[in-house]
Amino acid sequence: MDNAKDLSRMEPGFELDQALAEAGRCLLCHEPPCSKGCPAQTDPGTFIRKLRFRNLTGAMRTVKQNNILAGACAVLCPTARLCEKECSACGIDRPIRIGKIQRFLVEHSWKTGWKVSTDRAFERPAARQEKVAVVGAGPAGLSCAAELAKQGFPVTVFEARPEPGGVLRYGVPAFRLSLEALRKELADVESLGVKIKRSSPLQGPAAAEKLLREGYAAVFLAIGLWEPIRLKPKQRPLKGLTTSLDFLAAVRDGKSREAGGRIKGKVCAVIGGGSVAMDCARSALRSGAADVYLLYRRSYSQMPAEADERALAQEEGVHFILLNQAVDYVTDSKGNLKGIGLVRTRLGARDASGRRKPVEVKGTRWVLSADCAIEAIGYQPAEGGLIRADAKDCRTSQPGVFAGGDIVRGPDLVVRAVADGKTAARSILEYLDRKASAGRKAVRPVAA
Amino acid sequence: MSKPVDLSIEFCGKRFPNPFLLSSSPVSNTAEMVERAFEHGFGGVVYKSLGSPHVEIVHPSPRMQGYDYGPARLAGLQNVEQTSDRPLQDNLADIAYLKKRWPDRVVIASIMGFAAPEWKELAIAAEGAGADMLELNFSCPHMCVEGAGMKVGQSFHLVQQFTELVRRQVKVPILAKLTSNVADISEPALYAKKGGADAITAINSVRALTEVGLDDFVPRPNIFGKGALSGFTGPGIKPIGLRCIAELAGNKELGLPLSGCGGIETWVDAAEYLLCGASTLQMTTGVIHYGYRIVEDMIEGLSDFLAAKGLGSVGELVGKALPQMCGVGEFDVSRQGAAAYDLDRCVGCGQCYIVCQDAGSGTLGWDSAKRRPVPDEQRCYSCMICSFVCPVSGPPAITYKEIRGKKPFIAAGRSKR
Repeated sequence: MDNAKDLSRMEPGFELDQALAEAGRCLLCHEPPCSKGCPAQTDPGTFIRKLRFRNLTGAMRTVKQNNILAGACAVLCPTARLCEKECSACGIDRPIRIGKIQRFLVEHSWKTGWKVSTDRAFERPAARQEKVAVVGAGPAGLSCAAELAKQGFPVTVFEARPEPGGVLRYGVPAFRLSLEALRKELADVESLGVKIKRSSPLQGPAAAEKLLREGYAAVFLAIGLWEPIRLKPKQRPLKGLTTSLDFLAAVRDGKSREAGGRIKGKVCAVIGGGSVAMDCARSALRSGAADVYLLYRRSYSQMPAEADERALAQEEGVHFILLNQAVDYVTDSKGNLKGIGLVRTRLGARDASGRRKPVEVKGTRWVLSADCAIEAIGYQPAEGGLIRADAKDCRTSQPGVFAGGDIVRGPDLVVRAVADGKTAARSILEYLDRKASAGRKAVRPVAA
Repeated sequence: MSKPVDLSIEFCGKRFPNPFLLSSSPVSNTAEMVERAFEHGFGGVVYKSLGSPHVEIVHPSPRMQGYDYGPARLAGLQNVEQTSDRPLQDNLADIAYLKKRWPDRVVIASIMGFAAPEWKELAIAAEGAGADMLELNFSCPHMCVEGAGMKVGQSFHLVQQFTELVRRQVKVPILAKLTSNVADISEPALYAKKGGADAITAINSVRALTEVGLDDFVPRPNIFGKGALSGFTGPGIKPIGLRCIAELAGNKELGLPLSGCGGIETWVDAAEYLLCGASTLQMTTGVIHYGYRIVEDMIEGLSDFLAAKGLGSVGELVGKALPQMCGVGEFDVSRQGAAAYDLDRCVGCGQCYIVCQDAGSGTLGWDSAKRRPVPDEQRCYSCMICSFVCPVSGPPAITYKEIRGKKPFIAAGRSKR
């Protein structure tokens, strides 16, 4: 582990000449396949071409027009299995680094002072009267709000937590997306006229009805998943045991000293094999843990974490303990965590996900000594279940109420949440347009 | 293993250990620099132009401007370099030192006078210092002294007059370095020959303007708020240099040995210049870009190439492309062909389709589902632009193929509409 690795410093992005060189590698495809590879309809074929021909303002415009959270997606997207997977240059040697080019364009806009609030493409059409409420200021909610604001609607976003951003703010470590970068993107959303009400928790279908009664013409529910799944549902608190939710939020809140104080010099175990587990393990290393173990019940290739995240975690020094199921915790008499009970597994028959299921091997329980443990095994809805909504238009069974993001999909990518936000915005626009024209038809006979 | 092919070549009665020379420029500015170039293997030098000791030449600052093409640095170079910025006596001493220390290498002194007495004075001084030959700079396109350099090269009677003048002063061979900034470079070459020149050097930098600042509207290089048309060199001018050498070599009336110059960086460039009729080769921008070491790969590369071709000397390459050159009206147009596509190796970018539609015959089709072009051999113009944009190489996925019996496209006749 390189101790110089900072908890909050992102890997450097491209400078202009590097971005131009990378754009110079682009094959400038006819019917660009990369542009079909993005769930949120990002159009790299166009913005890379614009960059290639030195149309930098146009390139920045295309990126931000398509996705108001383009900077966050650029660094968080698993581009290797989305746009870059479709890249024709794969047939020559390696794909164009689309994510890095997109990140460059967003950062270039900060450097040069180009802003959505003053750009001609973001001039808003005539103001609409219908108020729209968005519940949850995560990627889905914010992109929906931004799209509707661009159409002239007054949009209010209700956010339960003190700051907007959702998982971007509370669930991603700063070395992947810095707070400064996030604040700039949030400022873009607000500069379009979106009002964000912080520390304003609203929950469930009742909240949507209340908002409709209060005069909002449409509601988009995008509250995300915020309840950690626990190894043991009735786990009592232990000193040294935490969840990915609390750990990442503490690290994010600049309480890394606090988190680091707990972790520094200690042996830390992270339970889980997804992207969140990798974020926790890498954050723990950066917080000064002496050793970080990642405990996963299946094999390396079955991990849900992206290939590059897995590789980076290992390169940075995380010890992977695979084919081991965490089963319980070992404590001392004062309730301090002392170790994690593990049982070896082997892979059995395929399960519903198509992956071979881990089967515990009897009589193999052993204890890994550890001072602290972070459970990173997933999130579930805070109350009730997932919200049912139509995948193609984000409509729920209730007229005027739309939903998207993780609260509909279950845990998924940021870019898919952005895609839902855009879809919901289109549906809401359509819904409100139809209501408005129906209203005019109803009024006309009276006027006649 | 056989010995490497001897690259020595005779030029103006003098044997050069190899045809590679530094051209007259900042890369041949001092004995110390030239000596290092010799250590790397250069066969000779055209020493940086000696200027009049009576006219004060002050170099503008900055002197140069790089010209990039996309990520490719220095596709060309623009400069406002003048004659040597060192005292004449120092340069003469350096020439004398080089001749003494490196007797097997050829030292050619480039000189540029601003009026007849200076041409005379410089010629005598350079020969006196021991220069093996003189190169008369009739071609620098950006002299700060009016009527010098390229202006002489464009006034053909002056080319003859100054060559005659120098001829009368010295016994050593004289090369006239000509500018391509004329309608036909053969004309001044013939005037130089009449004046007594033993060889022609072509080309000097091409008068050009590489860039204009968009923040300040100043043409580059920006010399404190001003820019000027000046000399452009490097890979970007190689096609012009080759053209001039081929024209000069093809001119039966001229019949002088040629020193080729313009965009030479590799042994491949060198071989092309030799094939077009040059028998020595000069370079600057390649050295400015990469240093003197480039000559090592030229020597090794050219030697291996000659061996692979079964040739025993550089001289056997000189002019060998000329019999294959003809006028555009002399081609055999009864034979036609088309672009042939290796679709198994196609990566599906569709650039071929775009350029065929927008700049070619427009007959190439596109299968959106398969992401593959759909060729039409009979209607293809065989312009081959599709192959120029195709990213698949080694070997190329789009190649030219002759199609027997294919009818040529003929513009005469009636419209079929």
